Amino acid sequence: MTISRRTTALAVLAVTSVLSVAACGGGGTTTGSGNGSATGSAAAGQKGGTVYWLTKRPAEHLDPQRTYIGRDLANENRLFYRDLVSFPVGKTGEEATKPVADLATDTGTSSEGGKVWKFTLKDGVKWQDGKDITCEDLKYGLSRGFATDVITGGPNYQLGYLDVPQKDGLPVYNGPYKKTGQADFDKAVACEGKTITYHFNKPWADFPLAIASLRSFAPYRADQDKGDQSNYAIFSSGPYQLQGTWQKGKGGTFVRNPNYDPKTDQTGRMALPDKIVITEGLTNEIINQRLIADSGDDKYAVTDRKIPGSMYSQIDSNPTVKSRSTLVNAPFVDYLLPNFNSDVMKNPKVRDALKLATDKTAYITASGGDKYGVPAKSIVNPDIVGYKDNAAFTGPDAGDTAAAKAMLQSAGVTLPVKIKYTYSGGTPESDNAAAALKQGWDKAGFSTTLDPLTDTYYDVIQNPNTKSDVYWGGWGADWPSAATVTAPLFDSRVNGVGTNPKSNGQDYGNYKSDAVNSLFDQAAKAADVQSAATVYAQADDQLGKDVAYIPLTVEKFYFLHGSGITGYAQSAATSGYPDLGSIGVKK
Amino acid sequence: MSETQRDMEFGSGVAVETLGSTDEKAIAGRTPWQLARARLRRDKITMVVTGIVIASIVIAILAPVLTALGVLDPETFHPELIDPNTGGLPIDGGGGISWQHPLGVEPGTGRDVLSRIVLGVTFSMTVALSATIITVVLGTVAGLVAGFLGGRTDFAISRVIDMVLSFPQTLMLLALSGMFIDIITNAGVPAGNPSNGVYIVLVLGLFGWPTIARIIRGQVLSLREREFVEAAKSLGASNGRIFFKELLPNLWAPLLVYGTLLMPAYISAEAALSYLGVGIKPPTPTLGNLLTYSVNYAASDVTFFLFPAITIATLVLCFNLMGDGLRDALDPKADR
Amino acid sequence: MFAYVVRRIFVGVIMLFVMSLVTYLLFFAAPSDPARYTCGKNCSPELIEQNRKALGYDKPVLVQYGEFVKGVFVGREFPDDPELKKSAPETIASCPAPCLGYSPLQSATVTSLIAEAAPISISLAFMAFLMWMVFGISGGIIAALYKGRFADRALVGSALVVYSFPTFFIGLSLYIFVAIKWQLTPIPVYTPISEGGVGAWLSGLFLPSLTLALIYIAGYIRLTRAFVLESMGEDYIRTARAKGLPQRQIMGKHTMRAALTPIATVAGLDLGALLAGAIITETVFNYNGLGKLAVQAATTYDLPTTVGIVLVAAAFIITANIIVDVLYAVIDPRVKYS
Repeated sequence: MTISRRTTALAVLAVTSVLSVAACGGGGTTTGSGNGSATGSAAAGQKGGTVYWLTKRPAEHLDPQRTYIGRDLANENRLFYRDLVSFPVGKTGEEATKPVADLATDTGTSSEGGKVWKFTLKDGVKWQDGKDITCEDLKYGLSRGFATDVITGGPNYQLGYLDVPQKDGLPVYNGPYKKTGQADFDKAVACEGKTITYHFNKPWADFPLAIASLRSFAPYRADQDKGDQSNYAIFSSGPYQLQGTWQKGKGGTFVRNPNYDPKTDQTGRMALPDKIVITEGLTNEIINQRLIADSGDDKYAVTDRKIPGSMYSQIDSNPTVKSRSTLVNAPFVDYLLPNFNSDVMKNPKVRDALKLATDKTAYITASGGDKYGVPAKSIVNPDIVGYKDNAAFTGPDAGDTAAAKAMLQSAGVTLPVKIKYTYSGGTPESDNAAAALKQGWDKAGFSTTLDPLTDTYYDVIQNPNTKSDVYWGGWGADWPSAATVTAPLFDSRVNGVGTNPKSNGQDYGNYKSDAVNSLFDQAAKAADVQSAATVYAQADDQLGKDVAYIPLTVEKFYFLHGSGITGYAQSAATSGYPDLGSIGVKK
Repeated sequence: MSETQRDMEFGSGVAVETLGSTDEKAIAGRTPWQLARARLRRDKITMVVTGIVIASIVIAILAPVLTALGVLDPETFHPELIDPNTGGLPIDGGGGISWQHPLGVEPGTGRDVLSRIVLGVTFSMTVALSATIITVVLGTVAGLVAGFLGGRTDFAISRVIDMVLSFPQTLMLLALSGMFIDIITNAGVPAGNPSNGVYIVLVLGLFGWPTIARIIRGQVLSLREREFVEAAKSLGASNGRIFFKELLPNLWAPLLVYGTLLMPAYISAEAALSYLGVGIKPPTPTLGNLLTYSVNYAASDVTFFLFPAITIATLVLCFNLMGDGLRDALDPKADR
Repeated sequence: MFAYVVRRIFVGVIMLFVMSLVTYLLFFAAPSDPARYTCGKNCSPELIEQNRKALGYDKPVLVQYGEFVKGVFVGREFPDDPELKKSAPETIASCPAPCLGYSPLQSATVTSLIAEAAPISISLAFMAFLMWMVFGISGGIIAALYKGRFADRALVGSALVVYSFPTFFIGLSLYIFVAIKWQLTPIPVYTPISEGGVGAWLSGLFLPSLTLALIYIAGYIRLTRAFVLESMGEDYIRTARAKGLPQRQIMGKHTMRAALTPIATVAGLDLGALLAGAIITETVFNYNGLGKLAVQAATTYDLPTTVGIVLVAAAFIITANIIVDVLYAVIDPRVKYS
């Protein structure tokens, strides 16, 4: 779910000490299915028909243990990879991200202060070939993530949390292929009939949130596993199964899975269409032009690609098209990071001046205007529990050139201050946005060189020796808690700032503060969401005072869908993408 | 004519076609300049397009000066001229055309379209011209050496030519960019657009020279047997002297024609590569960058959609027609 | 003649061999690290080292090339790891001959990727070929017959103007206006004959092949016009005319035969180059042929796939050259090959 815009998902989330928030754990049965939708048309759906999903970026992985992109995580859960618990279909607000039982009989029970978790599989849950989904399948799925030489690309929280002994920073268990240390893994994950028990080496209060958000804990059938060759092989446990093969860059077609029993599913997956066709490789312009035209099969199309700014006028001038558009919060925040390893940016007054000179309004206008996003006042997304504006970033959105210039003049540096801005470029919007920032900075006395990276971005800026002064970043929480925002981005211990000469993890600006680190520790020990959020807010205040980052915008998803679509919904349950759990077509 | 690999999709087809078909024709040994000039004067189309080409070259040279003087302003954003609620379309209809901005303003940024196009001509022509020079120089040297020395050298060079022509050019340009740009940067060229620019110039030249070399080789093979070369040889002239004093002067005409025809091919190539994401990157305004951006506005800002495309098409068309005209004028046998 | 053909094929094979070495060295011996690009953007240093071993990038580049060549003739297995082969043989990808490598970024063998993409590029190339030959040659003949008159100028001029616009501009304009806005054609999506029949196959191919054809038509009109004019000036045509043969017969029987021979040569070479994928057209229309596969491979540093496509493309071009030269010898009796 982490960053999925412009460039990509992230480098491996190194073993995090992120701990959080108890509220969403615990037992309790769940509400049944609902017909509501977060946004868009919500006519009661009929069964049948074909839904088309048009998109640009090819899925890099459709292997549950290797998927780390919000769109793919959401679609996998709705279509073919059921998990122990899932986010419900058809809920809004906080309900949308409250896990409900899916393959499990309940949302799990924890003991030993969150260090041990137990789930029991339902009866009658089956794979697409009719065989029962077993506890061994769950255990096998989890074990795959330990084969870091084969199962690459996915999140790896399991490596840090599961109580498997470590050697040289890596677990002694190396996965089901080479099976070194199998006994240690068997101790950490135990099967007893249909009940699976996970033993962690530290408390993991919101483990169910992680299960529902990621696919790391999804079951996998050992006899279907061909290692890397299974990257696009989909063996379904959900309402749909792949017809033929998946072709990267082209897509695939999903049809009903005859062995899926809706009676075992209380998450609200409606499974309305008979067929779902996913087409990859189209451009945003083509996708949205086709959705505007709304002819033929495109009437039954949805997309996860934003409407480009160049088309806003076509939509605004046409009420019927406009009625098919939706504008919802995306989980992403764009921000800037001063590089604390750069000589100029070590000077706090220069950072302050940079903050004051940053023109968020111009950035947003160049990126696509108010439909692209709204000015951000913190790196934390306002939708996250306990959000507070960061006082350091509540100045004028267009920046304050005079104040910035004055600050820069008092900083004891010779003007103009030469800086290099590295960002993930290659699209007209991103390049225009960078040029807009440059203009604001240059007016205040900086002299900015733009450095767009097009192919590898995070790879480059993760290197602490990269010589640039300011970086662009985009972030979305892995699950909806502040614990997956500021801590993974600014905890210098987790990211190895100053200790790892090769990588700064996700602390791309090489920020290091003991005060902030100890606040993160305090938050991790907090008893509930609210008190944790208060401490995270204190940490955010300190980050603001240090100008560890400069928030730019909270992104919006401005999407179109075809006129023949019913039950259209986008909510936090699917990271803001169209929810295939409720979407159907009009007959 | 065989074994001329042509990458038409890329936009160099007509040029190479004309190269190929003149291949076997010997150019008259006498200085043809007066004849040619007279013939050119009679050819109205060629005169007009040559005028346009010269005018664009003058503009391209002046553009950086005009930018420095503030007459052209390709960089300044004009948020007041665009409406953020329409995705940054110009507030004034017709693409924001006004006295200050004769071709309107760029959607999303409000930058002056005329300034960007004029500078785009400068950047694109610089790329095309540099690549043309490299192509012509490499091709001439290889063709001269192969044709004049003959024997094993000729065989070796001819096989290299065959091989380079058998590579899929567009794909090589694309695939080599990552590592070659790194190499160029490590060699001391500033990172970013300077390196990107050097890369496409070099690679266009490296994949372009064999066609020229083949033509020059053919010319040299026929010239070698001519009396004046024989005479020079029997007088004991050195190879160098024969190269520069006897052969080269007779190759100017074809080189001028082919050079002119390479320009439009490379202007198109720059545009195509920009679309594929290789080459000089925005916000530097090359014609390719401008067009790649402007095609997004096909349905919402017609003037902005059309201006960069028309500019490229005009340049390409004029250079092609001028090349044709020059060839007709310089080659009295051509009857087309 | 036979000896000539054999010699050409022999030289072609040697050339392909040398090109494979050059290509391999270009991509795998460059100072950049090929292992760095094996796991996309989500790579840790440990992972890079693991992949380096699994893919054999830790070996000297000439040894790697030797393995590559061996793979082409006898096949290979990825990863070549005896330990893994013992404990989990099902995870090892077998790559039977002709094996062009394994792409860890696509989780598939390069041969299978090319085999999937090739039919699309071939369909597109032939359809475009058909269009530009029909329109180009007929346009060229008309222009030649009406030399200097309006039809001539209009044809040659408009073809040149269309030709002056970059391919992607023409393609995108056709896509956005003709297919999406005016809905004159269906949205161009490639449908194999096995899935949608000939009708769907043809309608999906129409706009992309038209885009490609438009680029070539200008060249072919001019070429045809020039050759027809040239052969109309030949002595035997004058003789035929003097004999009082009707114009139609002169055109059909004598002029065209002479003019078409060189055109066939050029056309064969163009088609050969195009079979390996029309990069821009396929990108514009999202056609998953060799051209788009190549773009995808090149932009994600998928080196095994890139090398595979380069070699396949080179093979197409070299083969086209041989065929054209041999055909030329067959068609044109004046050409003698020793």
